[in-house]
Amino acid sequence: MTDTIKFAVKKLDFYYGDFKALDQISMDIAEKQATALIGPSGCGKSTFLRCLNRMNDLIPGIRVDGEILLDGENTHDPGIDVVQLRRRVGMVFQKPNPFPKTIFENVAYGLRVNGLKNKAMLRESVEKSLVDAALFDEVKDRLNQSALGLSGGQQQRLCIARALAVKPEVLLMDEPASALDPIATQKIEDLIHQLKKHYTIVIVTHNMQQAARVSDVTGFFYMGRLIETGDTETLFTRPKLKQTEDYITGRFG
Amino acid sequence: MERQNFHKELEQLKLTIYKMAALARQSFENACKAYLARDDDLAQTIIDGDRDINRIELEIDRQSLRLLALEQPMARDLRMIVGIMRISNDLERIADQSVNIAERTIFLCQHSPLERVPAMEALIDISKKMFTMAVTSFRDMDAEAAKEIPAMDDQADEYNMQVLKSLIEVMAASSPGFEKRVLKMRRSIQTIIISRCLERIADMSTNIAEHVVFIAEGVNLKHIQKL
Repeated sequence: MTDTIKFAVKKLDFYYGDFKALDQISMDIAEKQATALIGPSGCGKSTFLRCLNRMNDLIPGIRVDGEILLDGENTHDPGIDVVQLRRRVGMVFQKPNPFPKTIFENVAYGLRVNGLKNKAMLRESVEKSLVDAALFDEVKDRLNQSALGLSGGQQQRLCIARALAVKPEVLLMDEPASALDPIATQKIEDLIHQLKKHYTIVIVTHNMQQAARVSDVTGFFYMGRLIETGDTETLFTRPKLKQTEDYITGRFG
Repeated sequence: MERQNFHKELEQLKLTIYKMAALARQSFENACKAYLARDDDLAQTIIDGDRDINRIELEIDRQSLRLLALEQPMARDLRMIVGIMRISNDLERIADQSVNIAERTIFLCQHSPLERVPAMEALIDISKKMFTMAVTSFRDMDAEAAKEIPAMDDQADEYNMQVLKSLIEVMAASSPGFEKRVLKMRRSIQTIIISRCLERIADMSTNIAEHVVFIAEGVNLKHIQKL
């Protein structure tokens, strides 16, 4: 495979206190591809996702062993600037969480925090992010209205625009469409197809059909272990392992 | 997470295609028997029974489309449903070829028999064997048994050519009287058509075997030597 590796995860163990939530996970995540993580609730897929930009650091009592290399650099090295890491590795959550501000200010927020003050540049970046998130046409006449007035699907795309504004390299998506209706879900899925041309995407989803539709590579997690990983088409049509087969065909008991 | 209702419906779909396979097999075996025994009553039952097989084909289409649309099956289940749709298509065509054999047999029964063509009996044996093995390998999901079937297809083609050659010789041999010569040609051509039907059934048995390997292993053997 000639794909460039964005994340190289090596023998990752993760503990919540005494509970081992991830057990010896090794996985390469290719640049500018969509990687889907699937598995039953509690299998560790969201924990794994949150390890990639150290969101789990906010939880007391956690411990991480093993390595997560982003472009070859260990993200858990003591010298790493976590804020800078999260700028490079953005995140979109299950429930849209816009700030109680205007649409414009939601997207401009990260840019302002990073010190951008020039109004023209701010406006240009905000518009570009909204275009990239496939939201601009729907909101261009009401950028100064509250983001809370948007529909759920629009709010989620606004959160994607907000994540894109700071020019991340990787976008982590934790169940980004599970709270949305089918049309809004479709828009998010179409958007993922567009975004992966420029960004590395890692998406956690309970919806296997969604994983099959949007991703290039899929990893199946079960009880804290990465059971099987492979190109999505192969994994969903002829998985190598019986455990994967049993999960995706609904024979898990 | 267990999809009990879906798997119950998938089992029902399998039962439906087993039934179709049993009827197609019965139809084909009776067609061979009617041809060899010159039994036009038996031949007529095959023509009459074809409607049942067509009806089951429609039922399989309906059940399969329903499961694909509503259940979005994955992996082996997806391959099973796609494979069943393909196999039902081959079974229906095998049943049609059996009807074709029966119709020629009814014609042949009205006239005195042609001289015996040994390759014809060999072709009947091998095509019956191939079809039985194909159906059994599907029922048992036995990819290894299915993989043995395509190699037999060359032999079936060879027997078909031998039948053709023998009957060309029969037609070319001079016999007294214009009407007798015409009748001999007509009987020979009808027999050549039967031989062609048998050869097609061997081909379709090979298709079924390929579908079984696809379902069991996810490997597509179709046209593999040509790609």
